[in-house]
Amino acid sequence: MNRVSSALLAIAVSFGSAALALAVSYGIIAATGGDPNEAARALWDGAFGSRAQVAGTLSELIPLVLVALGWIVAFSARRINIGFEGQILVGGACATWVALKLSLPHPLHLGLATAAGVLGGAAWVGIAAWLWAKRSVNEIISTLMLNFVAIQLISWLVRGPLQEETRGFPRSAAIPESARWPKLLVATPLAWDLILALAMVVAMWFLLRRTSFGFAIRLTGANEVAARHAGIATTAVTVGALLISGGLAGLAGASLLLGGESTSMTDNFSAGFGFTGIVVALLARGSPWGVVPAALLFAALRQGGGLVEARAGISSALVLITQGLVIVFVAGSQFLLDRQRAVRVDATTPGSGAPLPSGI
Amino acid sequence: MGPFDTAWLASMVLLSVPLLLAATGELISERGGVLNIGLEGMMLSGAFFSFLGVYLWHNVPLGVLTGMGAGVVVALIMALLCVRLRSDQIVVGVGLNLLALGVTTFTFREIFATQAEVRLDYPQPIAIPGLSELPVVGRPLFQQTLLGYLSFVAVGAAWFVLYRTSFGLSLRAAGESPAAADTAGASVNRIRTIGTCVAGALAGAAGAYLSVGRLGIFNEGMTGGRGFLALAAVIFGGWRPLGVMAAALVFGAADALQLRLQSYESIPREVWLVMAMVAAAALVVARLRRGDRDTSVAVTIVGGAVVAVGVALFVIGPEWHFPPQLWLTMPYVLALLALGGLVGRVHMPSALATPYRRGEDT
Repeated sequence: MNRVSSALLAIAVSFGSAALALAVSYGIIAATGGDPNEAARALWDGAFGSRAQVAGTLSELIPLVLVALGWIVAFSARRINIGFEGQILVGGACATWVALKLSLPHPLHLGLATAAGVLGGAAWVGIAAWLWAKRSVNEIISTLMLNFVAIQLISWLVRGPLQEETRGFPRSAAIPESARWPKLLVATPLAWDLILALAMVVAMWFLLRRTSFGFAIRLTGANEVAARHAGIATTAVTVGALLISGGLAGLAGASLLLGGESTSMTDNFSAGFGFTGIVVALLARGSPWGVVPAALLFAALRQGGGLVEARAGISSALVLITQGLVIVFVAGSQFLLDRQRAVRVDATTPGSGAPLPSGI
Repeated sequence: MGPFDTAWLASMVLLSVPLLLAATGELISERGGVLNIGLEGMMLSGAFFSFLGVYLWHNVPLGVLTGMGAGVVVALIMALLCVRLRSDQIVVGVGLNLLALGVTTFTFREIFATQAEVRLDYPQPIAIPGLSELPVVGRPLFQQTLLGYLSFVAVGAAWFVLYRTSFGLSLRAAGESPAAADTAGASVNRIRTIGTCVAGALAGAAGAYLSVGRLGIFNEGMTGGRGFLALAAVIFGGWRPLGVMAAALVFGAADALQLRLQSYESIPREVWLVMAMVAAAALVVARLRRGDRDTSVAVTIVGGAVVAVGVALFVIGPEWHFPPQLWLTMPYVLALLALGGLVGRVHMPSALATPYRRGEDT
């Protein structure tokens, strides 16, 4: 089998998983006495029906793209970061802190706040990276635990040090305009950070595929022992991949607060993006380019789900079911691709290791 | 003694029971090599379907069994995907959590959204004659519902199965060195499937305890992260049954304390004293165990500092308002410290989260 046909199979499996998940959801609506066609129309109108709806969908796309890229970078080094929720929260909190405590002119203030978000996310995953590198702590467990620490920390911040002055609500003061992204479409939530997110897609593709550091990441992920023998400082490379991963999530957190609809930091502003972003990365099969269409699907589901509930009377919890089904189907179909990959390895290089990770 | 009274002890036991059940199940699963992130979803399924069972049949034991069955169904999906098809355990776990939250919320709204809040009959506690009249610990420990008692029985059973049966030996081998277990004639995949199902059943029971076990109500997403707290308890407990029980009780005690402290104007002095005493006791235990030198120096410094700060604050008694959110980070911080070797020494099963395929030497 050649590369093209294996890439086509991966795309077919992803489309199949998404289509199957949507079909099951369609069936659930029909089985519970709803009108699935009405729901589908409401979903489409809710996500793409008007200028405002499209803008809403595209702003939901931004954090999903960034988190999915974060997963892909870490997974290229075969590290699993499931701490995106925490990294989004800490990154967003750092960005908010800079936005509220410093007083600077517009592009500089926004730039510094965004940089603080990236650093915050990277620092938060840095705890897990340090534990992994120095104390051999499994990064899956540590990133997961750090999510819950972050949730409580942010909950404390918006009721304590960062709370707005009247102390009436658990939220920060309003973020000043000088630290906010300018609007891409006037009178909609969509801001210029969309362009940044799309630029990150190109940047991460370039990093992983066209730089020696990216090659070191992928070689470390494919075969850590071989990479070390080839002279790669695998521990440093892996830590680097994790930090980039967390930085992207921190950027997502910053962008949720400095762009988009929110005007101040609240509890749980990560709103599940940290986990949905993982679904996006899985559906994209680890390809930075694939992230955009996959993120568009989930952004549309999130954005359109509200109208489905309002117009067709179908609970928005169905969106969660659809997301869960996509993960289960994507994960469950992995063996199809593994089998094909195993055949390819056996046929070309008997006894050699696995090929470089391009997907999951 | 301030907030540390019988009511606190009773509340600690009530909050520990669901953790204990879920963590014991997760322990069995993880010792077999399956890291079950889907525990939260299994618990939530147990909470909802036991509620539904009691609503339909007006029979609490039958409802609890339904909840456990729901947990097992989720576990079977997990086992099919992760054990048989060798999908990534973490990814599947994340998916099952989303799926369980979606399915329970959706079904709950479909059936119950149109009615006023449904409150079901809940079981009355059973007092053990004699023991329940003991001072202080009598009522909290020996006047519980059946599920409460069973949670402690489950820990004992887990210990017995893990260390005193051939199945337990195979299970631990499957988690440490699946290739060796396979060579010795044990079916790694069958063992892991059983381990995952035990986790599902116990997580289902834990969820049932939350919904029909005590209050007879269900709320959307009512497990509220307790499945992850149970994961932390398994880690902090060092993947050993008694350690996991101690961790679940510590987390329950901490939770009970923060609930009480929210009504205090400032943190009472007793809290600082207890903090110093607990740290001192932990330090003594750590010294007796003798870890590697590097770690024991770190432990002594950290533990000594905590004791000193505790005593100092007890003497000063500062007027600090209690921040419950910071307190709630404690279980996860403790789990991280335990993983990093700063509190005790824990050994994670070597093959945790690694699918087994015959002929691959991992």
